[in-house]
Amino acid sequence: MPDGLLPGVKVLDVGQGISGPCCAKILAQMGAEVIKVEPPEGDLARQMGPFPGDIPHPEKSGLFLAMNANKQGITLDLSSPGDAEAFRNLAAGADIVIENPPPVSLEGHGLGYESLKNANPGLIFTSITPFGNRGPYKDFKATDLVLYHMSGHAHGMLGPVKDPDSDPPIRAGGHQAELVGGMAAATATLMALYRKRMTGQGSRIDISSFEAMVTQLISGLANSAYGRPAPPRDLAKVEEAAIGGMVGAIGGILPCNDGYVAISPREDAQWERWLQVMGGPTWATDERYATRDARQKNSPALWKLLSDWSVNHSKHEIARMGQEQRVPCFPVNTVQDLLSDEHLADREFFVEIDHPVAGVLRYPGAAYRFSNSHLPLTARPAPLLGQHNREILGSSA
Amino acid sequence: MNELPLHGIRVLDLSWIIAGPTATRFLASMGAEVIKIGSARRPDPSTRGPAFQAYNQSKLYASLNISTPEGLALVKSLIAVSDVMIENFAAGVIERLGLGYDEVRSARPDIIMLASSGTGHSGPHKDYVAYGSLLQHYTGWNSISGYPDREPVTGGLWADPWVGMELAMVTAAALNNRALTGQGQYVDFSMAEALSASIPEPILDYQMNSRVKAPMGNRDDWYAPHGVYHCVGADRWVAIAVTNDAEWVSLCQLIQRSDLAADPMYADAAGRHEHRDHLDAAITAWTIQHEDHEAMQLLQRAGVPSGPSQDILRVFNEPQLREAGYFTELQTSDGELRDLPGLPWRLEGGPGPYLTEAPVLGQHNAYVYQELLGLPETEVDRMIEDQIIY
Repeated sequence: MPDGLLPGVKVLDVGQGISGPCCAKILAQMGAEVIKVEPPEGDLARQMGPFPGDIPHPEKSGLFLAMNANKQGITLDLSSPGDAEAFRNLAAGADIVIENPPPVSLEGHGLGYESLKNANPGLIFTSITPFGNRGPYKDFKATDLVLYHMSGHAHGMLGPVKDPDSDPPIRAGGHQAELVGGMAAATATLMALYRKRMTGQGSRIDISSFEAMVTQLISGLANSAYGRPAPPRDLAKVEEAAIGGMVGAIGGILPCNDGYVAISPREDAQWERWLQVMGGPTWATDERYATRDARQKNSPALWKLLSDWSVNHSKHEIARMGQEQRVPCFPVNTVQDLLSDEHLADREFFVEIDHPVAGVLRYPGAAYRFSNSHLPLTARPAPLLGQHNREILGSSA
Repeated sequence: MNELPLHGIRVLDLSWIIAGPTATRFLASMGAEVIKIGSARRPDPSTRGPAFQAYNQSKLYASLNISTPEGLALVKSLIAVSDVMIENFAAGVIERLGLGYDEVRSARPDIIMLASSGTGHSGPHKDYVAYGSLLQHYTGWNSISGYPDREPVTGGLWADPWVGMELAMVTAAALNNRALTGQGQYVDFSMAEALSASIPEPILDYQMNSRVKAPMGNRDDWYAPHGVYHCVGADRWVAIAVTNDAEWVSLCQLIQRSDLAADPMYADAAGRHEHRDHLDAAITAWTIQHEDHEAMQLLQRAGVPSGPSQDILRVFNEPQLREAGYFTELQTSDGELRDLPGLPWRLEGGPGPYLTEAPVLGQHNAYVYQELLGLPETEVDRMIEDQIIY
């Protein structure tokens, strides 16, 4: 089977940190030839953890290694005329250029879309910024934390709490907002690439990571458009179980003797089967728990009854018994559980890559398998700083 | 010449609820003709609320009972004239309906068939019954979110929208490959793996340091100050993230605490991280005197990354979205004009995204069955009568 879906597609990744490199990483996984262009001091992500022993090292950042595997790497000082010229030459032969200013803005170095497209009219130039190049916040600075909160996600993340003023909204762990910006960029870029194949036409694509995050909540925006109030964060004000969140009759978390299990026997038939998993408890026929509405109304008492039972079992045991009865339930896994999960192992989800400095590590692979193409997920480790300068830039390096 | 990127592509959409419809919404808005197939026999659960109006913008909607032999034959006729087919039933369901990849491929050899399910279409747990909210727990995604030493968090609508966008990306990649090679694809997509793939840091941290990463609320491993700070009003907060020393000095000047900026104890991120509780209290003493949006304006003017923590209604009214043209006014099926969401990208110099109101079931039956498949009206009427087009 041929390697990848995008053979011969040439990408220059000028991004730093997460959103731009994430977009380029997706293209690399799909088989494009990605050259990562770093300033001489290296991508900012090289300073971001995790590191072995928590000791920062530019070639051992877990974040950098994950975001930049399967790319080649060169260093260019775009403020120097010679290096800017070298970049211009590379861009003349590229299909796609990706940036996520700041700190590196191609426009700021006289290498913006208008300038590059003269030599390469079919170029696709993808620019990712926190708020895009439009609107009152276009020059505002934002991080993952800021975007997660501004876009409405943090408000729903925690679930309703007893005292909203002492339990503020929280972001999700990791760098989700920046990954969403990167995924939006990869989606739009691949659509533009398809148009280029059909028509020869290039594009400049502007991505707002804030809008990408907001677009993850279009159901909530539609509720707002219909005049519905925002879901309350105050537990006392929650009346109905929201889709997505798990409250009361929709589902929730049960304590086990080794962690937690997440269950959601939300349909009546699922609830009946769940009761069998529990061995047919006597309280099941009580009118407080007999219907979904009643279960929602009496959910605190109900969860107490379920917890009294679950705490005597392990999370994997309950998940297995539940799934045998076709009840939606899963163990609440840690990353340690994940790395030894038999299902993920069977699907060969994790991929092993040997890096000359960081060593052998198992990286999460892709969520998709193609019947007619093999994805080059382990083509090469993330580049050392300037590793491919000689190969790509030749004697000028 | 100047068309939307997916002009000329037809997508047959057998998906439902959130993830699949989200993917086809992106494809439709970017120029593909998306034909959503549904049946009154088993309606799309998201039909019940306003969410349907967002998830199904820009699509055509035909009714078809594919559990009947004639319905199955019709869907194969539609596959024959489509470029992409997408489904997100539980693993094995589409095969039991008689629409596995082999059947689909014999109707259209170069079809791109996307099959998305909770845990994917192979492996010992492929038949596990899944919801997105549960997968967020199974995949470790929720394990790094929340407050330390508390129960796992139960909120967050994340899995389905995230997968929806990724499915659109995968479709675009497969279309590129088909344009190059002429070949189609079957795509086995696992929602669970999409979530686990988005948390590489704790997965690598575990291998590097034999440590299971604990949730840390709004805090960060390296940066400080980093959190949300109480503003004027109940449950009002401004998020502030100081990512370098210059931002720290600007923040101290703004909150009139130059003494903190001058203190060598807080001069670098490590020092600020160690003393973050103390610094958080100093910042709160300033934020509590300001409205959240006002605090953002002052902080941003000083060059400090910041923004209010908002509920969805405040997001809906965000000046940034309003002025950037994110919403489009559309007439929904009840006849009212409403502002509905758009796309997070702009392709400059070309036409804007194709955004129309969501259809109702069967609205495009005449186009799909008479125009596209060329069935006589009398035949369509009979199939409506027989609850095949239903």
